[in-house]
Amino acid sequence: MSELFDPLLAPYDERRRAELVAAYMAVEHAAAPVPEVRFPALREPALRRTVAAMLALSGRTLVRGADRDWTSGYHDDVAAALAADPACVLPVEDRAVLTLVLVHSVAIPRATGTLGEDTWLSPYPAAADELRRRSQLPVGELEAALRRLRTAGLVTQVKAGGDEAGGYVPGPQFHRLTPGARRRLQEELILAAGPDSPLAAAIRARRRSNEEAS
Amino acid sequence: MSDEWAPGILARARARVTGAVSVPAAEPVPPGLAAVPDGPRTWLLPSWPDGATPAVLEQYELAPMPLDRSGQARRVLAAALRCCWANLDDAPWPGVPAPVPAVLDVYAGMTRGDAALAGRWATGELRRLADTGWLVLDEARGVVRTGPRTALWPHEALGPLRDLLRRMPGPSREALGDE
Repeated sequence: MSELFDPLLAPYDERRRAELVAAYMAVEHAAAPVPEVRFPALREPALRRTVAAMLALSGRTLVRGADRDWTSGYHDDVAAALAADPACVLPVEDRAVLTLVLVHSVAIPRATGTLGEDTWLSPYPAAADELRRRSQLPVGELEAALRRLRTAGLVTQVKAGGDEAGGYVPGPQFHRLTPGARRRLQEELILAAGPDSPLAAAIRARRRSNEEAS
Repeated sequence: MSDEWAPGILARARARVTGAVSVPAAEPVPPGLAAVPDGPRTWLLPSWPDGATPAVLEQYELAPMPLDRSGQARRVLAAALRCCWANLDDAPWPGVPAPVPAVLDVYAGMTRGDAALAGRWATGELRRLADTGWLVLDEARGVVRTGPRTALWPHEALGPLRDLLRRMPGPSREALGDE
């Protein structure tokens, strides 16, 4: 319970302590990164280190957003340990559907230069039709997978309106990727989309040499 | 940061992924998790510093994680609480099991339109609320009760909820299976 945090919080007076707890709760629970200007415990580096230490107690780490704002995510080592635990990974259908959403809403716009290099959020929805055609899943299973992905904050449904076609974009959880996780995801997408490309060969070679080195 | 992760850290990280899970009551509770006893089992839930809850987001006007059909989810939870939190002077947990048709009946009284469709939506919502620990659903026996998360509601937050539930009509006798 709270005793977990006490060794970290005990040195602070009541006001500082409340600021630390507010910042911790905000980065852990808000849908989007929170601006540091509104949270003294995120603005001041010494206090921010304490917030990071509070997060580390649960294997979490601070993730800096684009614009002096902060959220939290799993530390890379902890994410790797959780990914090895069958109880913590998504069903294979959900992963397949999520990959399709990422290919259509991020990888293709990025390859055509309409989306920046280091973002996993996208204004270009993967059309629902496209998902139905490409997923090879019965429509009921596709809908169930999309529902689970929406509930988990991994995709967001964009309603069609005006000239805009509806569909799915990556959800708010993609704010929470660490720089290391964003890089790995980029590599995985290259391996999935162009397994025979020179880039994919380079990624495989680098991973092999990393494995041999460790 | 150290490369060595204490088992407690991984257990807490895992609990954040899995949400509410129950373990045999004899198993030790990893430090930093809230334990909610439930007969022969114990529910493990993440806990937060100094009694804070995600309601702190409202103070800062920050959006929480979006939820599909959140209004419907709230109404179904309210209908379930109306049936399972039998004695409002007590705490909501562990409550009493209520027949699912009774909860659907209370929910139908809060909505307009096609009752059969509302019932189907509400059944899906009951499952979703059970998956996330707000309710405990036993589909084989057709009963539902309050979930372990309600055990962590702060006492001071219960007053307005009690007032709301006192004003809500209960299930009909037919829905309760009475003759």
